[in-house]
Amino acid sequence: MSDSILVIKDVWKTYEIGDERIEALQAINLDIEKGSFISIIGHSGSGKTTLLSVIGGLTEPTQGSVSLDGADVWKLNDAGLSALRNEKLGFIFQFSSLIPTLRAIDNVALPYIFQKRNNTDIYGRAEKILSILGLSKKLNSFPSELSGGQQRRVAIARAFINRPSIILADEPTGDLDAQSESEVMEFFSEINEKEKTTFLLVTHNMELAGMTDRIYRMKDGILTNGG
Amino acid sequence: MKHRLSLLFLSMQNLTRRPFRTYALVLAIAIVSGAIFSTTTLMWGVNSSLKRGLSKFGADLLVVPRGSLISMKSALLTGEPSVFYMDSDILKTIASIKGVKKVSPQLFLSSVEGDCCVMGNAFIIGFDPATDFTVLPWIEEKIEAIFQMDYAIVGGSNSYNVGDDIFFYGQKLKVFGKLGRTGVGLYDNAVFINIEKAYSMAEESHKLPGVSPLKIVRGQISASLVQLDLGAKLPFISFTISKNPDVKVITAGNIITSVRQNLVALFSSTLILSIVLIIANTLMISAIFSTIINERKRELGLLRAIGAKKISIFGLIIYEATLLTSFGGFLGVAVGIVIMRIYQRTIIFNLKSLNMPYIWPSAASIVLLAVAAIGIAVVVGITGTFYPALRGSKLHPYDAIRAGE
Ligand SMILES: Nc1ncnc2c1ncn2[C@@H]1O[C@H](COP(=O)(O)OP(=O)(O)OP(=O)(O)O)[C@@H](O)[C@H]1O
Ligand SMILES: [Mg+2]
Repeated sequence: MSDSILVIKDVWKTYEIGDERIEALQAINLDIEKGSFISIIGHSGSGKTTLLSVIGGLTEPTQGSVSLDGADVWKLNDAGLSALRNEKLGFIFQFSSLIPTLRAIDNVALPYIFQKRNNTDIYGRAEKILSILGLSKKLNSFPSELSGGQQRRVAIARAFINRPSIILADEPTGDLDAQSESEVMEFFSEINEKEKTTFLLVTHNMELAGMTDRIYRMKDGILTNGG
Repeated sequence: MKHRLSLLFLSMQNLTRRPFRTYALVLAIAIVSGAIFSTTTLMWGVNSSLKRGLSKFGADLLVVPRGSLISMKSALLTGEPSVFYMDSDILKTIASIKGVKKVSPQLFLSSVEGDCCVMGNAFIIGFDPATDFTVLPWIEEKIEAIFQMDYAIVGGSNSYNVGDDIFFYGQKLKVFGKLGRTGVGLYDNAVFINIEKAYSMAEESHKLPGVSPLKIVRGQISASLVQLDLGAKLPFISFTISKNPDVKVITAGNIITSVRQNLVALFSSTLILSIVLIIANTLMISAIFSTIINERKRELGLLRAIGAKKISIFGLIIYEATLLTSFGGFLGVAVGIVIMRIYQRTIIFNLKSLNMPYIWPSAASIVLLAVAAIGIAVVVGITGTFYPALRGSKLHPYDAIRAGE
């Protein structure tokens, strides 16, 4: 229990659109150990992305608490929450999320500018991660010059730049071919092992889910242990 | 690889993404700052040329016959007053007042071309070399040391040159010296002669055929120039002199004030235009940046997700507006300078015809005005983007990222 990196207690998220109420998350409880590799599966619209964004400090839950590495996420002020997103979290979004005016390597290094720390080798690290992900020749390409899969890999690289303690990956390999997908997964498990980075992976791919330590299943906003 | 990331870099990249929009905004801002810079520079130039001229003039007070007060004020700046005379006894009265250091008379003669060789109109001023403190000190070049009876001194704007011969009322005068330009129209255009020569010229004029004679009697003067002791109480002295009902006192201060009123009247329309431009541009910037925020919702949400604080988002947008408007402001000032340089003859000519003397402000003043004009442009940018930037910073990060999905 003392080794928990993420503790979610009774989290609810209700969207109200007009008269309609959507229970996107219902009574979620979760306790994740540091360094574990977890996957979440579920149908479209079941609430997977909503859960990740509540954990990642992007969507405030209607009720309940999220504690990340000891910090009560939704009780932090803007500066605290921003620092947490910047330093502890690596978010890989389901949809494209690059800044179109920046080259691939700048996109990867971008989180650095919101940091107080002075990391002089940020570009070295960005280059290294991009190379591991097979993009050593695309460092200076703009997003518009990259394929969908290449853009996705740049976004993945960015999530790792600040050595986060937890990666929230929302279908990170959705638009990758089998070859790139396995490269990415290999990279994930290497980081997971070497740096004890915790992974929360949302996927539709049962095969991928099968490779993880534990599988959770999401259905109509309810999370069950689908082991 | 070299570090290049910063909020500044991000803002600059943002400005390159819609070049046409950026150019249009820069140009709009340039028009505002250029207009403000040019009008203030011209105003400043008129104002400082007034001040410089009047301080060069050297007189703290000018005592004139009651009737010529109004024409004197404008004449000082641009040219000829209508001529009135008073008795020279006033000089002694003024000299006896405590705090008065120097008094010197001047006699104005309405200009008439002589029977030979005088080009155009020249306004003749008789002065007393013995007591003078406003003419002789400002001679820039002269032919010899002593000012003699049939010598003349010409104002800085005059077309005569040192050494020329000029003729008034049949009398030949030699140009002894030329004054530096003062911006005081009365002085810049005048021809100065010894007051004794002026009296004798008036007497002689009665003998000349075909010329209306000068109706001046020895002992009459048009103005007495007064210099005060350091620390003398100007209002008190002015009040004491004014007890004489036949004279009026003009101070440098109230000349500047009256011209400044003209100046404000002339430029107030431009000022109103500038204010309208400022407001219109602020609103335009505001509208355009609202659109920009909407376009970039996803990116702003994304920046929040990777650790940008609300204040950083706010700063990023304000930064962008500042870059844009300072660049526009700079361009406006640069173009303003170029245009004023190209058309400087026309500008000065037009100001002169409006009774406004003009001297270019010093480089330091121009820099100051330029910085102020650019500053106004930046304030327009910041004011205009304030609300859109605030909205951008308050975007709900996840909804913003999802926008357009
Ligand atoms: N901002 C929002 N406003 C209203 N409803 C929302 C909002 N975000 C999500 N929802 C709703 O909440 C539910 C869960 O959405 P979520 O995006 O978490 O699903 P998901 O499991 O990630 O689906 P997918 O596999 O398609 O990505 C859906 O019914 C969705 O319509
Ligand atoms: Mg989703």
